Amino acid sequence: MTPVLRVAIVDDEPPARALLRDYLQAHADVEIVAECANGFEAVKALDTVRADLVLLDVQMPKLDGFEVLELLAPGPLVVFVTAYDEFALRAFEVSAVDYLLKPLGRDRLAAALERVRQRLGSTTPAGGGPAQPGSEAASQLVASRRGPGRFLDRIVVKDGPHVHVVPVDRVDVLEAQDDYVAIYADGKVHLKTQPLADLSQALDPARFVQVHRSYTVNVERIVRIELVAKDRRIAILRDGREIPVSRTGYARLRDKG
Amino acid sequence: MHPILGNRARLGVYLAAWGVLGLLFAVLGRGGTARPFAAAALYTAPLALAYAFVCLSSWWVCRAAPLARTPPLRLGISLVVAAIVASAFWAMLGAAWTPVLAALAFDAASSDAPVPALAFLALGVPLYLFSAAIHYLIAAFEDSRRAERRALESQVVAREAELRALRAQLNPHFLFNSLNSINALAGSDPEAARRMCEGLGDFLRLTLALGARDWVTLGEELDLVEKYLAIEQVRFGSRLQVEVRATPEARASRVPPLLLQPLVENAVKHGIAARLEGGTVTIGAERHAGTLTVRVTNPFDPDAPHRQGEGLGLENVRRRLRALDPRHTSIAASQTAGCFEVVLSLGTARSESGGTP
Repeated sequence: MTPVLRVAIVDDEPPARALLRDYLQAHADVEIVAECANGFEAVKALDTVRADLVLLDVQMPKLDGFEVLELLAPGPLVVFVTAYDEFALRAFEVSAVDYLLKPLGRDRLAAALERVRQRLGSTTPAGGGPAQPGSEAASQLVASRRGPGRFLDRIVVKDGPHVHVVPVDRVDVLEAQDDYVAIYADGKVHLKTQPLADLSQALDPARFVQVHRSYTVNVERIVRIELVAKDRRIAILRDGREIPVSRTGYARLRDKG
Repeated sequence: MHPILGNRARLGVYLAAWGVLGLLFAVLGRGGTARPFAAAALYTAPLALAYAFVCLSSWWVCRAAPLARTPPLRLGISLVVAAIVASAFWAMLGAAWTPVLAALAFDAASSDAPVPALAFLALGVPLYLFSAAIHYLIAAFEDSRRAERRALESQVVAREAELRALRAQLNPHFLFNSLNSINALAGSDPEAARRMCEGLGDFLRLTLALGARDWVTLGEELDLVEKYLAIEQVRFGSRLQVEVRATPEARASRVPPLLLQPLVENAVKHGIAARLEGGTVTIGAERHAGTLTVRVTNPFDPDAPHRQGEGLGLENVRRRLRALDPRHTSIAASQTAGCFEVVLSLGTARSESGGTP
């Protein structure tokens, strides 16, 4: 008897979910543990339900498939199911097991499931799959989302069962705090598990400058920069917040003009 | 760019004509004197060629006083003044030329009485005016050629825009997703799958049929749009609602084909599909005082990231309208409080005019 394959379906179109459900019925070892109509539901559901595999659509409202993957705790393997072929490269960069195109064929899904079973069989069941979206893969993910000449236009943050989508133009400042980045936006603070340097790199350098080892600032928020001691400067932001600016940070700011 | 100086062939013909004129002067001027033809030609030909260049300046007079936009009196005065100045200059050249020729040891020429300045004026003024007439002629010719080229170019742009619109019409992702929906329905609800196949077939056939025509009625265009939305409603379920309100006069109005379709597709793709709760796509059309106004409205998520291809459909429609009739058509997009609206307006001059775009 093969072990049970716990599958979550995430797609915003009811017929697409129905098709997956229909196809999966033919596989006796598959158990559908969650069916989600959007990214928020998926992140919430997979917080409480353990899944071995997520069948994930890419283009969905609010959170797209890649953002969902970024917010998932490490564990489930991912197979993308989409009508768009242009995300395939990105999908494999974030260690997706397979990339299926709509209209979806029964055999094509069966082949993907077979690959998933092999992956699960080759690793210890407790350790989950090789895709580790929660940790190292996350920074890789952010990098791959950028692509050439493209920068993040929003940051997704998970806070317990809640998911926040923070548009980057609302961000005032990013602060490194241990393993987290504190994101100050709209008078609120969001914590995201990611090194500051990685997140800073994913942002448009024309708008965000790392002014200090621990701080990246939205340059539009800077009112003025004051010299407080030799080689010690602070940036005063629009809301009055004072951010230390290192020597290299100051040079970076000056380069911006 | 000077039309004669800037064109080698024209300059050649122009100078050759003046050269011939110079030789003619030599023949005529010899009449009273015993001067041999060669000596006379030596005097007249260089002067004629020099005046040829002076007369090229009439181009700037043509430019400053365009035939169509200058009052006749002012036109006449400026031309005559320019002609007198030019001939006076020519007379001075002629007076200076005699001693130069003499110094070059052609004493035969110097023995004659100098040509009176009045002769230069009598010849120079009409010649200058004639040259101005030629310049006006060339300018008119070039204008008409430019206009022709512009007309041709705008025709090409219009065709291109139409082609682009047609290509955008056959959006492959719409087909992929629709086929996936049919695939799903085939298992759970075969009757619905059949209906959707039929709907998709109807939509594609109508797209091709309307796209092949120069004009369709708004009613036909709305039929197409409703077929499209019916297919998308299967995909999105209750998330997509549709409301179409069009007056009978609006439905009877003539519009270029497939103009509305990309706007409605945008409303679904970038508006409804990006919202968790979906929403209603509203299409309103009315006609007042010969002007047809069509509004496509949809809710959208202001925080949604910009997707690829956004604004492309709108730009296509805008380009087509511009190529069609930039004065009597307009398209405006606006967003307020999470609501996106595109307003198309097509005026009388276009909708009542001939059957060709």
